[in-house]
Amino acid sequence: MTKEIATFIVNGGEYEVIVEPHMLLIDVLRDKLGLTGTKYACGAGDCGACTVLIDGKPSFSCLTLAVTAVGKSITTIEGLADGAELHPIQQAFVDKGAIQCGFCTPGMILSTKALLDENPAPTRDEIKSALAGNLCRCTGYVKIIDAVEVAAETMRNGGQGS
Amino acid sequence: MTESLHYVGKRLTRPDVAAKATGAAMYGADLALPGMLIGRILTSPHAHANIVSIDTSKARALPGVAAVITHEDVPKRYFTRSVMAEGMPPFAYEGENQDQFILSEKARYMGDWIAAVAAVDIYTAEKALDLIEVVYEPLPAVFDPEEALKPGAPVIHDRWQGNVAAVIEHPFTRGDLEKSLAESDHVVEFSGRNSRQKQAHMEPDVALARWDEEGRLTIWSPNQNPHLAKKTMARRVFGIGEGKVRWISTIVGGGFGARMSFGVEPVCALLAKVTGKPVKVVLTREEDFSGYNSRTEQRQTIRLGVTKDGTVTAIEQTILSDSGAYFSHSGSISAVNMQSTLGLLRSPVVAGKATVAYSNNPTSSGMRGYGNPEGSFVLQQAIDMAAEKCGMDPVEFRLKNARGVGEPSMWEPVLLDSCNLDQCIKLGAERIGWKDKWQGWGTKKEGRLRRGVGMSIMTHASGAGGFLLEHSNAILKLHEDGSAQLTVSPCEMGQGILGVLAQIAAEAAGLRYEDIHVMSGDTDITLFDIGSHASRSTYVIGNAVVDAGLKVKEILLARAAKRLDVTAGELKVEDGQVRVKADPARAVSVAELSHDAIYEYGTDGQHITATGTYQSVTHCPNFQAGFVEVEVDTETGVIKVLRFVIAHDIGRAINPQNVEGCLQGGAAQGVGYALSEDLVIDDKTGKVLTDSFATYKMLSTLDMPEVEVILVEEPAPTGPFGAKGVGEPGMTNVAPSIANALYDAVGIRIHSLPMTPEKVLEALQSNRT
Repeated sequence: MTKEIATFIVNGGEYEVIVEPHMLLIDVLRDKLGLTGTKYACGAGDCGACTVLIDGKPSFSCLTLAVTAVGKSITTIEGLADGAELHPIQQAFVDKGAIQCGFCTPGMILSTKALLDENPAPTRDEIKSALAGNLCRCTGYVKIIDAVEVAAETMRNGGQGS
Repeated sequence: MTESLHYVGKRLTRPDVAAKATGAAMYGADLALPGMLIGRILTSPHAHANIVSIDTSKARALPGVAAVITHEDVPKRYFTRSVMAEGMPPFAYEGENQDQFILSEKARYMGDWIAAVAAVDIYTAEKALDLIEVVYEPLPAVFDPEEALKPGAPVIHDRWQGNVAAVIEHPFTRGDLEKSLAESDHVVEFSGRNSRQKQAHMEPDVALARWDEEGRLTIWSPNQNPHLAKKTMARRVFGIGEGKVRWISTIVGGGFGARMSFGVEPVCALLAKVTGKPVKVVLTREEDFSGYNSRTEQRQTIRLGVTKDGTVTAIEQTILSDSGAYFSHSGSISAVNMQSTLGLLRSPVVAGKATVAYSNNPTSSGMRGYGNPEGSFVLQQAIDMAAEKCGMDPVEFRLKNARGVGEPSMWEPVLLDSCNLDQCIKLGAERIGWKDKWQGWGTKKEGRLRRGVGMSIMTHASGAGGFLLEHSNAILKLHEDGSAQLTVSPCEMGQGILGVLAQIAAEAAGLRYEDIHVMSGDTDITLFDIGSHASRSTYVIGNAVVDAGLKVKEILLARAAKRLDVTAGELKVEDGQVRVKADPARAVSVAELSHDAIYEYGTDGQHITATGTYQSVTHCPNFQAGFVEVEVDTETGVIKVLRFVIAHDIGRAINPQNVEGCLQGGAAQGVGYALSEDLVIDDKTGKVLTDSFATYKMLSTLDMPEVEVILVEEPAPTGPFGAKGVGEPGMTNVAPSIANALYDAVGIRIHSLPMTPEKVLEALQSNRT
């Protein structure tokens, strides 16, 4: 195994990290960079809790080899808020009761961001399809889907977009 | 107390959710301490085996390994993983089988804990596990509770010969059952069993443990019952004083009853003790699915006797529960099943008996509803069968036979003083359009896709007041700026309890909601409380918070009266101001009073604070009716839930958004329980075959049906501002109402959960022949 120093671009910042070939992106984010908002829940890409955006696309960080993400733009949940100002998606999740235990929330919010960046006015069915890979055990999804609708509207009306 | 409410009843933002939205919220796995080691557990590859020898020398020799422990290193003290056992009165505690060591001396299920290591990182710990050499002597195993009870079955625990873990009589058994059934106009009998539903909390099981220089153990874990966990860990697991253990329950990433039991905490604590360093253990999802905790499988038969006019004359329930390899919650869940199931309808004759068997299946645990979703699946189908025999509408039959105000609750010495089940039934029926959609018994439907409607009712306790340990405490302390610290014990596991208690505190004390900071989870700081379970926190702890709030208000009134030169009776406290009622412009702020009380240089110095307590003597049951419309595909066997209507008697919704969330989330778990979720165990090897989210099918966004929630709000006399519990009941009515709708649609009854397409097709085919 060869260790190497690699540069990761996370939430707009550049970070040099010693990585080994077998390391997963989730381990780099959580253990090396202290970005513990990215959650480990299944390790198999079945639940979406570890979702981050790589070049804007939702990706399972628990299945992504860290070295494959070098040089790409990675967005984690910590990269969404603008200082103390929540991103409209975060604000909608807070306001609409879309968060219960919160463990699926970071992944759910990032999948939502990927959806709304591509489709600013999704139908309820389109929202369901976009979030089908993100499991939530608490909410029954009703209030999550409500929150995505609200966030989409806020962002269409000029709320902070990205 | 309820005139002009400022905060109660409002959809206020919960204090915990912003941090969850930004990723700042710290869960157990996110914690780290200097010098921390990582622990991993070696599990048994056999469902039943003696351990002949364990050679740990190679593992110990691996650089980076700090400790390897086996059953030879654990305290020889039996305990039960159910921390709820400590909440039982002494006579009941006797029945909580103490049958586990931290690491097992014999493998009793595939996945049983045999050895553990602590190492510098997870990679080293994993390598060390591979280097442990265990010689097993495989034994015959048994995976079916009926087989386990037969003579000659493999004995799983020497101390429980015959694998009889418990036999429990329903305490309110009465009357001559056989005579009453013989005299009834109709007798119906229905048998059914539930699946081993997994709690499947998204956060994997985790613990972090550290022993300090004073010999005190601190544990961080998402346990739902920190004070009981502390006591169990101290007194039962290690044999030390309760003061030697500090339990800090972290944010719980989903509980659903799983965290009413020990997970990795005992092994984590022992690894920390032998290494002298902090140790963290996190399980994988596969380990969670293949290890301990699931709903207890219960095989039940209900017999109902009724008169021609649809009056219930006798009810009997018999249960055979599969505990799995260790006892855990299986006894109390069986007992609570009988309470909920036999305590719903009025009946002069009642009989109930449960037998709990050990098997080589993974250990079960508490899960949302705690016996109620198990029993209701069988009872509510039996009720429909009885209604059919009498030619009665299921709605009318239930309205006629359900208990109401003035009658015994499920724990019979307590009489119901609040019950709006009738309202729930009527409003739910109206919403689903029952009168139009239910076309009478035996209506023949045609075509490939056939629709049906079904219903179910339930009652659930709001805590265990009247029969178990049920008192609670809260501390409300004012800061110099008029903001307040509310210190309470329940864990925030998603239900929104911290915000709810802050709303109650603000309302009771006259403070502003946004000025209240809530602390919880740490047994060194909080006062005793049994924990977050049994749909109790809003009701029981809420009442303790009301008490604390009123006491603080009284202090504020007394101090303000002096300052404003009026009597306390002439004042009111609201929104952080104490005002003269007749002249609201004359006022003093809580901030001023609070600051000046502390910085009082004369003789009247005081830190304004109060401890509230509440001893619950009534469990203030909540009630609910569920109605569903389904569409059954007679070619594929797929049941599609079109609409689910829940009408819940909540007393008063402190925060309606949370109540809806609990009911919608419960409904999602209920639909999964009804149609797709099942922990499938290979009956040859004992291996859990559904050990991932890919194979264990929970609902996704695409599977979730429309859920409509109706809140029936008539304040309960003993509830805080009239509130009752709601944590568990969301899922109880789902499976039975779908089962009854299935019968309405296609005339078949399914006897086991989940009601899969295969079972539906099989039943349709045997119906045709």
